Amino acid sequence: MTYSHTHAAGRRTGTSSRHGGRSAAPVPPQIPDRRGPGGRRLLGVLLLVGLLASVLPWWLGTPAGSLRSTATTVTAAGRITGLVAGYLLLVQVLMMSRLPVLERWIGGEHMARWHRDIGATLLVTVLAHMSLILVGYADLRNQSILAEVGTLLGDYEDMVSAFVAAGIMMLVGFSSIRAIRRALPYEMWHLLHLSSYLILLLGFGHQFTHGAQLYRPGPVRTGWIALYVLVVAALLWGRVIAPLAFNLRYKLRVADVVAESTDTISIYLTGERLGRLAMLGGQHFRWRFLTRGCWWQSHPFSVSAAANGRWLRVTVKVVGTHTADLRDLEPGTRVWAEGPSGTFTAAHRLRERALLIAGGSGITPIRAMLEELPPGAALIYRARTPADVLLSRELDWLAQERDTSVWYVIGSRDDPGPRQLMSPDGLRQLVPDVARRDVYLCGPPGLVEQSVRALRRAGVPRRQIHLATFEL
Amino acid sequence: MRRALLAITGLAASTTALVVFKGSPGTSQVAQNLPTAQPVNPSGPGTEPGAPGTDPAAGTPTPSGSAKPSTSPKPGKTTARPSGTRTTKAPSAPRTTTKAPQSTTRRVTGNGFENEYGYVQVQIVVSGSRIVEAVALSLPSGGESDIHSGDVRLAYDGTGAPGTPSEVVRKQNANLNTVSGATETSNSYKQSLRSAIEQAF
Repeated sequence: MTYSHTHAAGRRTGTSSRHGGRSAAPVPPQIPDRRGPGGRRLLGVLLLVGLLASVLPWWLGTPAGSLRSTATTVTAAGRITGLVAGYLLLVQVLMMSRLPVLERWIGGEHMARWHRDIGATLLVTVLAHMSLILVGYADLRNQSILAEVGTLLGDYEDMVSAFVAAGIMMLVGFSSIRAIRRALPYEMWHLLHLSSYLILLLGFGHQFTHGAQLYRPGPVRTGWIALYVLVVAALLWGRVIAPLAFNLRYKLRVADVVAESTDTISIYLTGERLGRLAMLGGQHFRWRFLTRGCWWQSHPFSVSAAANGRWLRVTVKVVGTHTADLRDLEPGTRVWAEGPSGTFTAAHRLRERALLIAGGSGITPIRAMLEELPPGAALIYRARTPADVLLSRELDWLAQERDTSVWYVIGSRDDPGPRQLMSPDGLRQLVPDVARRDVYLCGPPGLVEQSVRALRRAGVPRRQIHLATFEL
Repeated sequence: MRRALLAITGLAASTTALVVFKGSPGTSQVAQNLPTAQPVNPSGPGTEPGAPGTDPAAGTPTPSGSAKPSTSPKPGKTTARPSGTRTTKAPSAPRTTTKAPQSTTRRVTGNGFENEYGYVQVQIVVSGSRIVEAVALSLPSGGESDIHSGDVRLAYDGTGAPGTPSEVVRKQNANLNTVSGATETSNSYKQSLRSAIEQAF
């Protein structure tokens, strides 16, 4: 197999990986069995069935031809949207419950994307529910909408908290619009988003005191409450019990912090029973480093080496204050990890061969995955300057060991070389069978978008393109 | 984001479709076309589509209108709430006075029925052998009940004039469609109406 440098990918001076890039545990490479995208489809169908089931009580409880006036029709639409909103809220929380099954089956990346889309839908549905009910009730009572708001807030039990819940939801929703979110500090956005749990709590009451389909005891009400119980149980399991069990079992600690380049560090972690840790290359954990400045922040980082039974490693680019603090981690620092999560793994391949495209520090999950992919993979590594190339010694070693072609493509996005290469023709020239490969992409959004466009035009089916994005 | 837009559009479309479908004329619309031909008949051909399946809480211990004979009201409750005081309250029904009573017109008040949400009593105005108006003298009130009672009043009460499409006047019997979300009140209304019809004819 060819092994080529388009540029001499800069060997760096300065501290280098202590382990010399060699896997410390010479375990024979294990190629994981395929898992396929079946889980995602099944979950999609299940959620759709749930949606239909949530509107069913209204359908059965409303005789045909009973909606004669505008008021009753509008109120009926308000009830439907109310049921849908109640259901979607539960789905939203479930998506973010970090239930281990879902994290490994569907993958955190996909869940996050679903969460975003369902979130927008939920916000619109809640607004529709409120306005339809207000208009309908106001019409029934022959009063203005403002007076109706007063009646609802004054005379209706649990309605004040429901209005507060809706207010919080609007705040959370609008703060998640991309442009606004970018303008907010992450911590503030995160705090706002955490208040979503209040929505679950505050919105609970009014569904059962005033929901036309839910206020009476019966199977519908029982079922709705059961859904709540299930989702809260999933939340407890995924957010509290599973992480607790994981961390009590593996007891991760920082072993060493090593500079990989001027702005990138690798953190090596050790723990107990790591031989039994079921983790795939390309998956990520949410890491919480328990030091004075860092314990309150949790960030997702991919592991940058496949499971070897002895240590874990994350490779992190220093971009913010938190990542800057990570440089000063002392060996022995306790680490709280949640995971592993993600479907960006060799197990989720659809074809025998793969093309990997990494940009900058996006190499970390791909470096870990390389150890588990079948031989014959190809890697395109984009970096702005030779100094931005990370882990090159390990990549060179893996290229030989795992029969992988590696191309380092150095330069700005607008340079002729990279531009030609990242075009449909360029990709086909480099990897003639690209349409019959899985393509794994990890890197800055610009590179990912450009590559997906080029790949699609080069004839790669969408389902064979795997993205690792934590960004919503 | 494109998927979210799709989902929102889909939801809006299906909600509209659901409402339109439920609001569209079923068997009741056919009956509306020939209201004058309907004889006064407590066991007329009117249908109650989906009535048995409508109540998600079929096991609730409250009296179910169609199952019980109309001659067994709870006597204590009826006397406890004399209909006279209720009549003065006759809420938001100014239309009753607009129609001057003819010589053959008489008002008949049905028995009152108590359900878990409140007290229901119905009065009908009979001209000859036709019901020309129905008025609920009392319906459950307070909180959510106001809304449900409003639904019931809107569906059943009135003179059958274009503004008040009263199902009672249209059908001329007590086999009314149950109002969504107000099953108990609908049933009590029907029981009271049935007793009024029995007294009138």
